[in-house]
Amino acid sequence: MRALKKTIPHIFLMAYLLVILYPFLFVLFSSVKTNNQDIASNPFGLPGSITFDNYINAWVNAKISTYFFNSLYIGVLSACLSILFAAMLAFAVTRMRYTKISAVVFQLILLGMLIPNNSLLLPIYGIMRKLDILDTHMALILPYVANAIPFSVVILAAFMRSLPGEIEEAAVIDGLSSAGLFARIIIPLTVPAIVTVFIINFLGNWNEFLLANYFLSSEELRTLPVGMVGFRDAYNTNYAQMSAGIIFSVLPVMIIYAILQEKIIEGVTAGSVKG
Amino acid sequence: MNKALRNPLIYLIFVIPAFVLFLAFFIYPVFTAVNNSFTSWNGISKNITYIGFDNFVTAFNDAAFWKSVKNNVYFILFSCLIQVPLIVIFSLLIANVKKFKGLYKTAVFMPSIMSTAVIGILWGFIYNPDFGLANKILGVFGVSPVYWLSDKDWAMISILITNAWQWTGFYIVMVLAAILAIPKELEEAAAIDGATGFQRATKITIPLIMPIISVVIMLSIAGAMKAADIVLVMTKGGPAGSTDVMATYMIRYAITSFRHGFGNSIAVLIFVFTIIITVLYQVLISKRTERIEY
Repeated sequence: MRALKKTIPHIFLMAYLLVILYPFLFVLFSSVKTNNQDIASNPFGLPGSITFDNYINAWVNAKISTYFFNSLYIGVLSACLSILFAAMLAFAVTRMRYTKISAVVFQLILLGMLIPNNSLLLPIYGIMRKLDILDTHMALILPYVANAIPFSVVILAAFMRSLPGEIEEAAVIDGLSSAGLFARIIIPLTVPAIVTVFIINFLGNWNEFLLANYFLSSEELRTLPVGMVGFRDAYNTNYAQMSAGIIFSVLPVMIIYAILQEKIIEGVTAGSVKG
Repeated sequence: MNKALRNPLIYLIFVIPAFVLFLAFFIYPVFTAVNNSFTSWNGISKNITYIGFDNFVTAFNDAAFWKSVKNNVYFILFSCLIQVPLIVIFSLLIANVKKFKGLYKTAVFMPSIMSTAVIGILWGFIYNPDFGLANKILGVFGVSPVYWLSDKDWAMISILITNAWQWTGFYIVMVLAAILAIPKELEEAAAIDGATGFQRATKITIPLIMPIISVVIMLSIAGAMKAADIVLVMTKGGPAGSTDVMATYMIRYAITSFRHGFGNSIAVLIFVFTIIITVLYQVLISKRTERIEY
């Protein structure tokens, strides 16, 4: 009876696990089948003969390497820039002695977290056209950097506030200026929070679809999500090849997740609660 | 001490980059959206005509607009009535098992870090009427093929299922963290008093995690009002507008058919509706759940 009681939760949880993981397995199995008929006749398992042609074709047809590096460089650059700017602002607001202005600045930034940002798609599109940078990577980098600022400031400011004031007193007595204090003392101490914020910003940029879809039109500039949708629309009759494309695009995220899962889970959930 | 930390030049240099970006991409767009929502601007031409509330009247008289509002409401209802109970049940289950706790947590969370576009493509394949997993599984039980994404009656529910598949695990992990933060003594005391597992869950754990459930509901509402990419990738709002949500309706008019002013008025409506729902929820429901200290 006790053993049964212990097994029942696992049955439900394993069923849930199956629902989550089986779609990935289905795509993985489909990606090594020769064609649609092969998928239709044997949908659930591995095929008799495994073929890797789909991976080669998907890599060439979908230009996944181009999209991958576009996403990687836009995602990393934007995440780093927003962290730099957000950290500077958070430092000025929490550690420098301008309490009144700082309170106003900080409250305004908090307000930004309440604005549903994809309803701002059209005005931002307008700004990009005025700056004449539509269809360049700048058209994504600028809004990505800006969009991440409110959240990054909130997390980094909370962390910086918790650092003891004696540290900076000692540093200032030793002759550091406020800029030196920021670069040599505060930033190194804030690294744990910076890592969390970086992961969230990077994932957000890496997965972003709306802006990337409407602000870029040249194929070679596309990011991975937009490129994958284009690939699907172009080859949507060849499901085996499309499955290989899906595998290519989820694999890097899965690998990063496998290595950093604790940090990612902690970061993403912390971010959303505070948001 | 104060001299080093009261340097106006340094202060400005540190504050300005982030603050200017913030003003340019949050505050300024809100004002332009509101301003443009009263115009018939096509998004390109130099002369802009103000037409008062005409855009809003047009939207309110358009059945397709109300259809998209209804679909946003479906999104919210699906998350609150179906996802939230599942989230609570599965978090309780994971919190109470001893083996594989880490495995369950890691696995259920995984879809939420993936790109919604790729998830949409993946599920588009699963929903394929001829080769997809969904019909193949139903076929085993002798159910005839369902045209998931091209049938008006099934398309919306198919999208909602995909959305739930991606995000349920994310919220489970959040609720799980709250359950695991409850002091063990409470459960132990209840167990000594003879409470069953079910009684402990409903009388102790759930009341204690009400604040986080409230957060989950708020986030689901925000997510539902923002939903756009999953719809664009899976159905592009079709068949015949049956899966349009407000954001995709806005995009269709503003970008695809150059009715920029009209699109902006939809943006303003999304904004207003989000605020109304949030405030209503806070006032009617959230305020009643008292904060519990332990």
